[in-house]
Amino acid sequence: MRSSVAAGRAAWLFVLPFCLLFGIFTAWPVLQSLFMSFTDTRNRDLRTPFAVEFVGLDNYAQAFADPLFRTAAANTAYFVLVGVPLTLLIALAAAVVLDKGITRFRAFFRLGFYTPVITSIVAVAVVWRFLLQDEFGLINTALGWIGIDGPNWLGDPDWSMPALILMAAWRNFGTAMIIFLAGLQAVPASLHEAASIDGAGSWRRFRHITLPLLRPTLLFVSVTTAIGYLQFFEEPYVMTNGGPLNSTISASMYTYRQFGFGNYGYASAMSYLIFVVIAVVTALQFRLLRERS
Amino acid sequence: MARTTSKTLAGVAALVLVLAACGRGDEKAGGQAGADISQGPATGTITVWAMGAEGEKLPALAEEFEKANPGVDVQVTAIPWDAAHNKFTSAITAGQTPDAAMVGSTWMGEFAGMDALDPTPSSIDKSAFFDGAQKTTEVDGTSYGIPWYVETRLLYYRKDLAKTAGYDKPPNDWAGLKEMAKAMQTKAGAKFGIGLQAGGTGSWQTLLPFAWSNGAQLTKNDNGAYNFDSPEMKETLEYYGSYFSEGIADKEAPAQPTTEPDFVSGRVPMFISGPWMMSAVEKIGGADFKDKYDVVPMPVKKTSSSFVGGSDFVVFKQTKNRDSAWKFVTWLADAKTQVKWYQSSTDLPSVKSVWQDPALTADTKLAAFGKQLDTAQAPPTFATWEQAITALDTEVEKVARSGADAGGALKAAQASADSIGTGK
Repeated sequence: MRSSVAAGRAAWLFVLPFCLLFGIFTAWPVLQSLFMSFTDTRNRDLRTPFAVEFVGLDNYAQAFADPLFRTAAANTAYFVLVGVPLTLLIALAAAVVLDKGITRFRAFFRLGFYTPVITSIVAVAVVWRFLLQDEFGLINTALGWIGIDGPNWLGDPDWSMPALILMAAWRNFGTAMIIFLAGLQAVPASLHEAASIDGAGSWRRFRHITLPLLRPTLLFVSVTTAIGYLQFFEEPYVMTNGGPLNSTISASMYTYRQFGFGNYGYASAMSYLIFVVIAVVTALQFRLLRERS
Repeated sequence: MARTTSKTLAGVAALVLVLAACGRGDEKAGGQAGADISQGPATGTITVWAMGAEGEKLPALAEEFEKANPGVDVQVTAIPWDAAHNKFTSAITAGQTPDAAMVGSTWMGEFAGMDALDPTPSSIDKSAFFDGAQKTTEVDGTSYGIPWYVETRLLYYRKDLAKTAGYDKPPNDWAGLKEMAKAMQTKAGAKFGIGLQAGGTGSWQTLLPFAWSNGAQLTKNDNGAYNFDSPEMKETLEYYGSYFSEGIADKEAPAQPTTEPDFVSGRVPMFISGPWMMSAVEKIGGADFKDKYDVVPMPVKKTSSSFVGGSDFVVFKQTKNRDSAWKFVTWLADAKTQVKWYQSSTDLPSVKSVWQDPALTADTKLAAFGKQLDTAQAPPTFATWEQAITALDTEVEKVARSGADAGGALKAAQASADSIGTGK
């Protein structure tokens, strides 16, 4: 009995550093921001964080009534609904091709596809701004060769979001591709062999063997990609600053702006709204893609 | 389990207590003057923060102050502009501010609102500065610090192309400017007559010089509210928007403008900007480009006014060396120091009399900036200025890009500004 108490004490002693760090740098800020979201905290209140008025759900009500926040939420939904499937599709296609199609220089292509992930967004943004330029950009020049008059990608409110989705998909599919590759390599070759002896074509083998076995991988990739995309911030921040006409402002970016304006209470409330949406979307994905027995 | 519940209950009770203790204290009134500062040379250590190029060049200037005051040690910390605002707010929150610092003129309302700044002592002559610049230091009737250096916005134009278009120099009124911009397109081969920002972040800095030239007042109710939907503003925004609807200015300009190369190539031979653009266009245009362009004050509607920006120099309330810090700031506002500072940094002096110095009168382009500074105005120093003006920027973008009605746009901007409030 006594030794177990001593062991318990020792255990607590060992986890104490973690608990302290976690408490101070993770749990406390989370609680503090939750508290802020129910108050009218502004930046001038930071020195006296509790000398603020308690406003209940006003901040949340204000967010739902704020036309710009609604625009930002709609933009984020657009980005996620188009961007996540597109990224996954490109990643899966690239993974399948790398797994089966390309045998020579495989490592070279794998590295090439992954490079955008590890490249600094700031450098990427400069290059993409050149690519997407209206008159002399590479993309519009290439479109011109086949007789298409390309749009003013970043200047036209209808095309700015597609341009950013394209860029985000290019930048992020590498991670998903690597994970898909690992998943594909775990698909037993014997199953494919058996199926092809039974006369199944390559599409049917992919549809009925590869995809079902990839389900856990698919779940993981779609959850991580969706979480990342729901917080989409960097692309509009470096490329368009939310414009033109607020067509690319995202919920995270609008929240960031409100923090910049010093409206800490309001911005915290919006952060929690984003958090709730992410939790709900993730739960939905788990339901849709979970293992079926 | 029972223990966990009671612990949770205790936690909740503690939280309720904390919440019950919430609530704001009383606000205090403005219009104060700082306490007098002592006589004699400065002593001790003065910690100073400054941003960007100023932060790099200030130590050399501070050495001269140290020579004149042997007992003092000025320690300058250079901080990058990107990080500056955050660094200041966290320093103010933590009570770890430097003794004195350079502060962007649009941050004054916010920092003064956080009760971080020391009011200017009466020994500093406030009338020595350009009026608009001095206004950037005044929050609620109290002046905090000095305007250190200034900048204002002028009309840049290509002399050679103007001649081709039939002009020796730009006309001095609104209608004339538009005619000239059109002529630049029809006769001088310009793609766009003038470069104006089609809304978006910071476009107010191009719009407001026109608005002030039209006599617009940005506040009403005795400095109690924003005033974006005045008839003067409407007329200004209609005029501004017409440049875009008539195709004289580019309504689809990218978020990162290419002003300098466009100016040098003649694609867009006019624009409105500040003094830093002189070296920027000369760098791209080459050695003889200097003679190919000129700057003139903003065209007149009721008057010719512009935007005055720049940076102020303040002393923080938490300083432990207040008198010496103010002595340093007073010295920075001295005419001789201002000339020296202009020579090492090319920052325009905020002290009016300095503009009579041969170092500045020799350059005719510079003289045009000096002339405009006499009438240039500063935006109101409300703590919520950045937020309110972002709402206006958004509405201006609707007018410029999609031809929205100027009156409706300003009403929307006013509604946002009213809901934001002045932050008092």
